[in-house]
Amino acid sequence: MKHIAISKVFIHSFLILIAISYSSCTNEEDCCSPKTPKDSSFDREAMLTQWAENMIIPAFEDYSSALKDLAVAQDNFAADPSADQLAAMRDDYINAYLAWQSVSLFDIGRAESIALRNKSNIFPTSEEKIAANIESSDYNLELPSNFVAQGLPAIDYLLYGIADEDADILNILSEPNYELYLATLINRLDVITDDVLTDWKDNYKAEFISNQASSATGSIDKLVNDAIFYYEKFLRAGKIGIPAGVFSGNTIMAAIEAPYSGIYSKEFFDEGLNSFQNFFNGTSVTGRPDSQSLRHYLDYLGAEKDGVLLSELINDQLNKARTAAIELSGDLQNQIYKDNSKMLNTYDELQKAVVLLKVDMLQALNIKVDFVDADGD
Amino acid sequence: MKSHFAGSILIIFGSLFFISCEKNIPIDPDRSEIIVPDSYTFVRDGQSTVSFSGQTTRIGMATELISAMTDFSKTETGLLEMYMNKTVDGSEANPYANDAYNESSKSVKSKVAASADFFSANTSESATIKADFESWIIAQSKEVSANENEFATPGNAGQIADGSSARYVNAQGLEYDQAVNKGLIGALMLDQILNNYLSPSVLDAGQNIEENNSSTLADGKNYTTMEHKWDEAYGYLFGFSDSPEDPIATLGSDDNFLNKYLGRVDSDDDFAGIGLSIFNAFKLGRAAIVGQDYELRNEQAATIKQELSKVVAIRAVYYLQHAKLALPTNQDDSAYGSAFHDLSEGFGFVYSLRFTHDITSGLSYFSTDEVNAMISDLTEGRGFWDITPEKLDAISKTIAAKFNFTIEQAGD
Repeated sequence: MKHIAISKVFIHSFLILIAISYSSCTNEEDCCSPKTPKDSSFDREAMLTQWAENMIIPAFEDYSSALKDLAVAQDNFAADPSADQLAAMRDDYINAYLAWQSVSLFDIGRAESIALRNKSNIFPTSEEKIAANIESSDYNLELPSNFVAQGLPAIDYLLYGIADEDADILNILSEPNYELYLATLINRLDVITDDVLTDWKDNYKAEFISNQASSATGSIDKLVNDAIFYYEKFLRAGKIGIPAGVFSGNTIMAAIEAPYSGIYSKEFFDEGLNSFQNFFNGTSVTGRPDSQSLRHYLDYLGAEKDGVLLSELINDQLNKARTAAIELSGDLQNQIYKDNSKMLNTYDELQKAVVLLKVDMLQALNIKVDFVDADGD
Repeated sequence: MKSHFAGSILIIFGSLFFISCEKNIPIDPDRSEIIVPDSYTFVRDGQSTVSFSGQTTRIGMATELISAMTDFSKTETGLLEMYMNKTVDGSEANPYANDAYNESSKSVKSKVAASADFFSANTSESATIKADFESWIIAQSKEVSANENEFATPGNAGQIADGSSARYVNAQGLEYDQAVNKGLIGALMLDQILNNYLSPSVLDAGQNIEENNSSTLADGKNYTTMEHKWDEAYGYLFGFSDSPEDPIATLGSDDNFLNKYLGRVDSDDDFAGIGLSIFNAFKLGRAAIVGQDYELRNEQAATIKQELSKVVAIRAVYYLQHAKLALPTNQDDSAYGSAFHDLSEGFGFVYSLRFTHDITSGLSYFSTDEVNAMISDLTEGRGFWDITPEKLDAISKTIAAKFNFTIEQAGD
């Protein structure tokens, strides 16, 4: 009995000791940088509303409408498989791919549950799987193994890469089984995007805006994580780092985005970077003035690093990445071939922002990272 | 408190001693000096005495086997031949892309659970373990390959998305290729290194000590048998390196087995330097054999046994903890892919714990029953579909308790 009492006292004083040392730590942090967020007077609802109404839904509307144009162009091509119709279809395809760059980072809600990104833009695409699907006509595009045989990258292959000469591409795409596969891919993108857009408007918007909790399942925590995940994996690594050989040590030219059309790959990267920065600054697709986004939230909290506003550091760094990318050829494959060091420079600038976003910003906003780095095997 | 203090002094003293003996130190004035080279380079009469071609051959065969397991054009027979390097009825087979492996009489299977210390008088367990691998290989073909184009659901094999990749799992969520890959790290690499080649029963077998003392070479070779046994242990860890005499620069990228995961553990700040310390122990132990200092040799073997056992345990905890983070928050069946992949790797590393070596007991850190209990915890009921964070923490705790690392250190 006595023994137990003594150990209880001991444990208590031990806990108090821990508590004291813990609180002294946090006090110290508080004194030097205002890192404690959760000031409930920041209008989280206004931010979520701005995101949903002026950024996310308009971006999906643009993308959806670009896909509908592409579907029409494909119909026209089917009716009249001519060089002109092929050119028109390619134009609409590029517009759709550009519009995709502004929705990719919003992998939340219906987009997340149906794996929209996996079905829209996994590259490099598999020529082999596409050929097998066209050959067998018995395939299930819902299967994960078919992520690499559908979406915008597969369309890039069909429209630009299935033969060397345009005349041959035209002939091949006029064959019924090829035409059917192309139509299937385009219609599928249209259908799944509509599904996401409709859900945003009819259901998810209300849920998204009302879920203001500051927790792992709250809308802000989730979307900020999604945006950083997008930045790290799809923008930094997918568009630049992987093809430039940052992770493998060898350049992988075939791993650039849209390698068959080629000349748009740099533009797609720029658009992705802009979309991310627009999200950060609350710049709406519809051209309204910036309002209520992460930049405002950070400024509201007074988040600084080394005496400079964190939001400024982040914008400066994203601008540096954009400036580094000015040096790149429009065709990133060509750039890797000519001078990969410029790709690596761009990567390095992109990487510097990862720390600001993932460490400093998340700490200031008191958001936990909800994804782990896969170890790649 | 007191004993910990004494322990740290010992460690500090030990490392001082270790640093200072990097170069030539006379261990015993009557004996030759121990000369430790900078790289794993040992020569006699101007010729290298290091050889481990049998080990690189088996790593190569195992590499081909693993990649064939997710190539669904391969047949069950074809996969089994890659495991046995024989046809199923025991005649010559040529299952490998690399012809040198086809010409070899060696196989993966013959060295699975085949160490002198653990299995020479325990052939029934050895046979059970060999058969486990065989059953996973067969099931990959019968269950998973057959369902290649189906969705995995509880109770049904098929594919499931892990990010943008497709993973192919059995009815319980296990990827058999991962079970074989990570299981071989224990059953082949760890068992052969720790429980066979670094064991005095192998190093000192027959006339090995006398021959080593008199520099009597193995028939037609430039090495003594003892030197060669040590090198064979080294080969299972570093043999696939582009520069095996100096393997630290590329540590982790030389194979998909023990080297890879030593590299992974080494790149965790909590365990930084473990790769180099294992390499140094191999080097010093080999130099000790040349210098005929068997006590020093055994000390290095003990370090290697302890550290490599720890590496496998760390990785087991790592994957179980990562699986915990990857478990879906909703009950959507299609969201389990990332967790299943971690669990499949974790399953293989847990299985591999059977082949760890505790130098105080001379036995595995985990008995067969303990490992089987953890495996059945992971696979009971609907298997990975039913896994809970609590269960993963409990198993992690069981593993970490035997070593001087925490779940947090291993899990990040």
